[in-house]
Amino acid sequence: MGGYLLANKLELKKISMKQKTQEKKLFTYGISTLALGIFPLFWFLSQAILFRELTDLVTRNVLVLIAIPLGSTFIFLLFLGMDKLIKLVPKDSREVLEARMFVGPSIFMIGLFLFYPAMRTIYLSFKDRYSNDFVGIDNYIWAFTDAEMITTIRNQVVWLISVVFLTLSIGLIVGWLTDRLNKGESFFKSIVFMPMAISAVGATAIFKFIYEYRPPPLTQIGIINGIRVSQGDKCWNNRIIDGEFYGFDDSSCLAPVGWLQQRDLSGLPIAESLESGGWFANMMINLPISTLLLMLIMVWMYTGFAAVVFSAGIKAIPTEIMEAGQIDGASELRIFRSIVVPYLKSTIVVVGTYMVVTVLKAFDIIYVSTRGDLETNLLAVKMLDEFSKYRNFGRSSAVAVLIFVCVLPVIISTALRERDNSEG
Amino acid sequence: MIRSTQKWYDKPITKLILVSIALTWMFPIFGFLLSSFRPGEAIKRTSWWDAIYTGTIWSELSFQNYQEVFRAENLDRSFYNSLAVTIPSTIIPITIAAFAAYAFAFMEFKGKNILFLFVVGSMIIPLQMSLIPLVQLFKDGIEIAGFPIIPALDLNGTFVATWFAHTGFGLPLATFLLRDFMMGLPRSVIESAKIDGATHFTTFFRLVLPLSVAGIAAFATFQFLWVYNDFLVANVFLGIYRPENLVVTSHMSQIVVGRFGEAWHLRTSGAIISILVPLGVFFGLQRYFVRGLLGGAVKG
Repeated sequence: MGGYLLANKLELKKISMKQKTQEKKLFTYGISTLALGIFPLFWFLSQAILFRELTDLVTRNVLVLIAIPLGSTFIFLLFLGMDKLIKLVPKDSREVLEARMFVGPSIFMIGLFLFYPAMRTIYLSFKDRYSNDFVGIDNYIWAFTDAEMITTIRNQVVWLISVVFLTLSIGLIVGWLTDRLNKGESFFKSIVFMPMAISAVGATAIFKFIYEYRPPPLTQIGIINGIRVSQGDKCWNNRIIDGEFYGFDDSSCLAPVGWLQQRDLSGLPIAESLESGGWFANMMINLPISTLLLMLIMVWMYTGFAAVVFSAGIKAIPTEIMEAGQIDGASELRIFRSIVVPYLKSTIVVVGTYMVVTVLKAFDIIYVSTRGDLETNLLAVKMLDEFSKYRNFGRSSAVAVLIFVCVLPVIISTALRERDNSEG
Repeated sequence: MIRSTQKWYDKPITKLILVSIALTWMFPIFGFLLSSFRPGEAIKRTSWWDAIYTGTIWSELSFQNYQEVFRAENLDRSFYNSLAVTIPSTIIPITIAAFAAYAFAFMEFKGKNILFLFVVGSMIIPLQMSLIPLVQLFKDGIEIAGFPIIPALDLNGTFVATWFAHTGFGLPLATFLLRDFMMGLPRSVIESAKIDGATHFTTFFRLVLPLSVAGIAAFATFQFLWVYNDFLVANVFLGIYRPENLVVTSHMSQIVVGRFGEAWHLRTSGAIISILVPLGVFFGLQRYFVRGLLGGAVKG
């Protein structure tokens, strides 16, 4: 009898304990939803609404003054708030929540601002311009058949090949030659590297000044046209010598060329010297001068990056190997070809990957110089044009997906190689 | 010494090639910088090299263009806007990424590997992929089956839209780089702090964050220059909506594209001003910048 009672009592205690743990569990669940779900959402909305309202509420100077410190510290409120909430939970289940609290915001933001939009872009690329009806692969058919898109893709290919080749080769030369210097190495590297810090907009302004074209009687202020028109004995770029004015408005003088409007070689003296008919002449006559000149801006900007990376790579080559080559009497060119380049192979691939991705996303240079007109367009500019100028979300998304598909194999192959390297 | 058998680097040709490359690289800036000090009329009348040749340039140089670009063009306003966009857009992703990096480096939890793969995988998404839906998200929010997950916030045209956009685009790289850096920190120090009873929160703020300053600085320099020089994101989220919220790059693009025809005196002086800040950061923090750049080689 007593034994039975005791057993009963134990049973009751078990049930009440079960209830207690269930309560505890429920409490923990509540707190974790509050800490990891509701509070971050509340934080996000309050930051967004607060600053949106501030934009209209306060004067501009005050807005900027408030925005910098508050915008930078608001994020700490998120973590502090989550931490305070999590402290309410009993200690044994806190560990898991803390991990989620540390990782959560990062995953959430990447998901909301990068991953979800990217998925939606793929989805939108199969819909019509207003994102209403499905149109199948119509947008992609357009992307590969539209005349303007074909020119854009051609330009993108020209950019990819030329920019990557030029930045890598000049960068390799600069990196190697500076390494051979006794002094002044960092000076030369800094000069070539410096354009990397300049915005593409600024760099484009600088080069637009070089390519500048003004209609004939006006002084040529771009140096290329300036040199061009002052060739010949009687030709001067509107210079006043001893009070007398000398111009180039003479039939014997060369006329200035609108370089950024020059979509091929026609009208240039080189075109006349080309034999007509041959495939080489045909190819040359279609040489997109403006595209090549715009491309040089990017080469100017990124060569220094390649040089700095290569220079670091060259420093990592064991000196014994270089010296062994020298003792064997190999010429410097031979050493460069047989030792330096093979040693830098993986570095060259990494820099090349970086350049391919950068060129595929090149936007500012074209947008600021020609706005993509006159057959100079690139994919990234075309994408934005379709979006904001023509308001065709379907086509714009298709172009974006096209950029993504081009980037994908490059990066995946890099990642695979990286894995092989770390394993081997 | 063996080095003495090798005379190649002493040969003038090395220096000749390097000097000519350096001159080629400086040349575009030289004429541009010079023109920024010449009056607009003079720039159009004589080319800058003719002005040097004839010597008239010395009497022309002045700071007038710079005054004009500030006074008439409000470039200073755009400059402050740029800072209001750039500084939070650098700090927010770093803060979020540092917490996540700490968890990936020192904590054990379910789904750690999958989540990290998600972060790394997101690095390959070019920002063009996210642009359109993000604009729509900031305007109309997200609805699933008629139920609003994120309400219509109408954020476009405010600074906060660019902060969030840059946070999204910068986070994968930041998380990846900082985790890499924190993995290099001595594990024993963090473990001993844990034995002493420090919470993760304290360990993070007191121990890991101060130790990671070099890694954070590398990404911060990279992100600061990236955001300050960015034109696409600023143009899409700020430029079109509220002209008074223009950042420097958007403002410069308007001047360069030619709102005023041939205003080369404004184009030159404006561009020179706009590149002063990044150049200062660049020369001051070149070491960190290179490190961030190398890590950022795969940024999306």
